[in-house]
Amino acid sequence: MNFWFSVLRQTGRNLRQTWTTQFMTCLTVSLSVLIFSFFYLVYLNMLNAGDKVSDDLRLVVYLEEEPGPELQEQLRLKITQFDQVQEIKFISKAEAYSRFAEELGDNRDVLTDMPTDFLPASIEVTPLKSLRSLGQIKLFAEYLTTIPGSQKVQYGQKWVERFYYFIQLLSIVVLLSGFLLILTATFMVASTIRLTIFGRQEELELLKLVGATNNYIRTPFLLEGILLGLMGSLLGLASLYTLFQWTLRHFSGEGFLDLFTFTFFPPGIIFTIVILSIVLCTAGSYTSMQKFLRI
Amino acid sequence: MTDTTTSSRTAMIEVIKVSKSYPPNVTALADISVSIASGEIFFLIGRSGAGKTTLLKLLCNMERPSNGLIEVAGMNIHQVTGNKLAKLRQKVGVAYQDFRLLTDRTVAENIAISMEVSYKKPQIIRSRVRNLLAQLQLEDKHDILTGDLSRGEQQRVALARAVANSPTLILVDEPTGNLDATSTTQVMELLTRCSNSGATIVIATHDETLYRHSTHRVMKLHNGELASLTRGDEV
Ligand SMILES: Nc1ncnc2c1ncn2[C@@H]1O[C@H](COP(=O)(O)OP(=O)(O)OP(=O)(O)O)[C@@H](O)[C@H]1O
Ligand SMILES: [Mg+2]
Repeated sequence: MNFWFSVLRQTGRNLRQTWTTQFMTCLTVSLSVLIFSFFYLVYLNMLNAGDKVSDDLRLVVYLEEEPGPELQEQLRLKITQFDQVQEIKFISKAEAYSRFAEELGDNRDVLTDMPTDFLPASIEVTPLKSLRSLGQIKLFAEYLTTIPGSQKVQYGQKWVERFYYFIQLLSIVVLLSGFLLILTATFMVASTIRLTIFGRQEELELLKLVGATNNYIRTPFLLEGILLGLMGSLLGLASLYTLFQWTLRHFSGEGFLDLFTFTFFPPGIIFTIVILSIVLCTAGSYTSMQKFLRI
Repeated sequence: MTDTTTSSRTAMIEVIKVSKSYPPNVTALADISVSIASGEIFFLIGRSGAGKTTLLKLLCNMERPSNGLIEVAGMNIHQVTGNKLAKLRQKVGVAYQDFRLLTDRTVAENIAISMEVSYKKPQIIRSRVRNLLAQLQLEDKHDILTGDLSRGEQQRVALARAVANSPTLILVDEPTGNLDATSTTQVMELLTRCSNSGATIVIATHDETLYRHSTHRVMKLHNGELASLTRGDEV
């Protein structure tokens, strides 16, 4: 009880004396959090968009012959050997014909002279709706050309590839920015605490001489680290949220943004970011403190 | 019954063949041995540079001896570390020759520090601070920054901080260097009260009026060596 009373008073004193440095550090931390979570938010929303797009993503394998039920079963097995899929649908020549006729609508007259089996039979494969399977779709298509009796495989090649590379680039950006910003924030907090320690060296040495325990000396600085991490991440996330709302308000209803629904972080991720930021800031202050206490 | 006699005879401080040299080749203390009993008032004298402050620094673990052994309350203080060292230091009050006050804090805050580190209750700290300031006639300085005080006032604040936490060992370096006769008497009365409540006190001084008419032991150092160890009235 008295320990915490003393420690809190000490922390208050620290903050009052060095609030400008602390404030700047808090801003740095929040800027780091803002930049990182911005990329991360874009990344998450892209993943969602990927989900949506792959809704209508299908690989169509055109077959030389119409497979009998037994062969169908064998092909089905062959396909699922590569990966789990959401759906495999066999389209017979007749089905293909009637579908085509339906699409032609009023112009179906053109088909009157055609035999009903002029369209090839095919298999429609719908991959699982995950980004991983989206990334693998090229490999999947290559695999499908090797199954016996397949003539040609079709899917939205160009588009899928571009999207895939874009997502890859984005995840690299997220990882890299995350890593760099973690370094920046930790380093900033460590050096701020070192500055505060430096400015109070006389007092801290006296505290040691009159018998203050290491915990008594250390805890106020750790509290400062926690506070910096908490305030910094909350400020960063709050600014991101404001930015997010602003973007939604100003760009919704305008063309391409309507393709996707944008969502903010779920509470779990917000919580993780805040905790992570607190842990890093505390670690930064802890290392500075250890250096001093060893002297 | 035997208990009390042994405890009054137990040594608070054992200094055994202690030397201290500073680089490159300053010998501040050479081969000093002395045993100071619990509850004793012990004087350290000698010319400037004789090694008085050095000995006190060794006793409170601010410096390590180059040779020899120092025990305080039965513990080899130079082997104690961490929380044990902190606990030990809470029981040793030191008034430094250069005061070591925090000049940007008030008198009350400076005195409170030594009690805060052992988690005394705030109201106990407040009343102890007022009580000490009254004994040293510094009541009106309670909320003054120590940087604004005169040397003599700073000296007394440093002493008040040393005794505030009721330590069992009090080390005082030149407690009366800047004081007039009345203030000197007040300081000695305060130290005597601490001694009466059981504290061991070691005083380094140039002021022979402090010990001349007493029976306390006086150790004289000369160039780091023990020159004499006699009763105050026989020096
Ligand atoms: N940190 C140090 N480095 C080098 N020499 C030192 C150091 N501290 C003290 N000395 C030397 O050790 C000797 C003893 O110093 P000390 O401070 O113990 O003297 P003192 O008896 O307290 O003197 P005074 O009465 O002036 O306070 C002196 O010659 C001093 O110069
Ligand atoms: Mg001295």
